[in-house]
Parts: sequence; structure tokens; C-alpha cells
Amino acid sequence: MVQRVSSQRLGAQSGIEAMVYEQARQPVQSWWKTLRRYRWHAGSVAWILHRITGIALLGYLFVHVWALRSLVKGEAAFQAEMTLFTTPLFKFAEWLLFAVVLFHALNGVRIVVVDFTARGAHRHKMLLRLIYGVGIAAMVLMGILIFLDPFAV
Amino acid sequence: MSNARSKWSTYAWYWQRISGVLLVVFTLGHYLTVHWTEAAGHSFQSSVQRLTNPMFQFWYLGFLVLGFYHGVQGFYNILRDYKIPRWLLWGAVGIVAGAAVYFVYLGFDTVVSVHTWKHMR
Repeated sequence: MVQRVSSQRLGAQSGIEAMVYEQARQPVQSWWKTLRRYRWHAGSVAWILHRITGIALLGYLFVHVWALRSLVKGEAAFQAEMTLFTTPLFKFAEWLLFAVVLFHALNGVRIVVVDFTARGAHRHKMLLRLIYGVGIAAMVLMGILIFLDPFAV
Repeated sequence: MSNARSKWSTYAWYWQRISGVLLVVFTLGHYLTVHWTEAAGHSFQSSVQRLTNPMFQFWYLGFLVLGFYHGVQGFYNILRDYKIPRWLLWGAVGIVAGAAVYFVYLGFDTVVSVHTWKHMR
């Protein structure tokens, strides 16, 4: 329930400021209510995806460094692990991982372009369409490399 | 907010972008060298060969340090956006940062071990 507070008591200069203060004074909402108040636009979806993929990549970095420890144990241990990693299930997982890497990398470049170029912020949606296009093309190419392995010697 | 703190977060903001761009370059190089063919990334011989090459060692260790830095800083940035108690924020960031430092050590140790192991044979 919104509590009516005089703008003087809040130290606000205007009615709008008083409204902002009142909003801030409301109790913390449930996560579900917060989620429902999100504005689901292309840019905000990209913002959320950037965070989710970022956390996923940090987690994967730990797994990746851990998995490469088998190099120290010698050839047999490493090859046993790699046999597992070249099964269809893991190949598919690697492809999905590439999608995560790709989104985070391309959207990261978009963030840098928006932040550091004069007209970037005006073109952020065009940039978003561009990265989704490049991303889908790169996913197809990586799919060919992973599943067909055309350059194998 | 004190001046020192705001300066620190400005540097962190810049560094998050600079390290991000460097990581894109590292990742592109990583995919082109390691995942071009299945054998390139999954064979013991080629992996050991790469890890004993000084240029690749520099490449991988730079990738490792930058990756964990960018990841931990990003994790902190995300948590800072939510209304959570200070002890929980610093506890969670502390655990992740501590684990990151240990895994950077593990990565260095892997490279050094493979290097000495290769040269002992």
C-alpha cells in the first residue's frame, strides 16, 4: 500500500521527486512481482541474457580448467576423457556452449560499441539484429565443424 | 561515496570492457586453433605440443587470468544490482574470487607440469 507522505517531509523539490521517493519507500516486492514488472524488449532481454550467459561461462571456466588437469596425469587419462568428450551428447553440449560463448562475445562487442561510439546508443537495436544474424550464421558453421569435421586429416 | 571508491569503480568499468574485448580476441584464436578439427582439440599429442610452445603458454595463461578476472568482476557487478545484505555480497564474491585464484594456480600448474614433464623425457 502506498503511504501518503508530504513532499516537505521527504525533502523533495517537486511532486515528481516526491513520487519517486514514495516508490522507493515501498516494501521489497517478491521476485515474481519484480520479474513481471520487467519491460521485455529486445535490449532488456539481451541485458538479461548477457548476465545469464556470463555466469554460465564463469562456471564453465572452472570446469574447463579442472578437466584439463588430466593432461598432468598422462596420455591414458587424457585420452579416456577425450573419448567421453567426443560422444554425440558432449558434441551437442559443445555446440550449445558455443552458442553461449557467441552470444556473450557478440553482445559484449555491441555493449562496447554502444558505450564508446557517438551514435552507438541510437543504433543499439540495429546492432542487436546484426549480432543475432552473425550469431546464427556462426552457429551453422560451427555445427558443420563439430558434427561433420570436414577438415579432418 | 568517497572519491577513491568512485574512481575505483570507474577503472573497474573500463577494465571490464577492455578485458572483454581482449577475451573476444583470445576466444577467437582459441576456437580457430583448437576447434578447427576434432583432432586438433582432443588429441594428447597436439595438446602437449601447444602447451610446451612459449607463444601458446603466454596465450593460454593470459586467457586464464583475464577470463577469471572478467568473470569475477562480472559476478560482483550482477550481485551489486540486487538488494542483498553486505555480508552475503562479500561472502559470495569472496568464495568465487578465492576459487578463481586457486583455479588460476591450477592452470599455471598444468602448464608448468606438462612443460617439465615433456622436457624430462
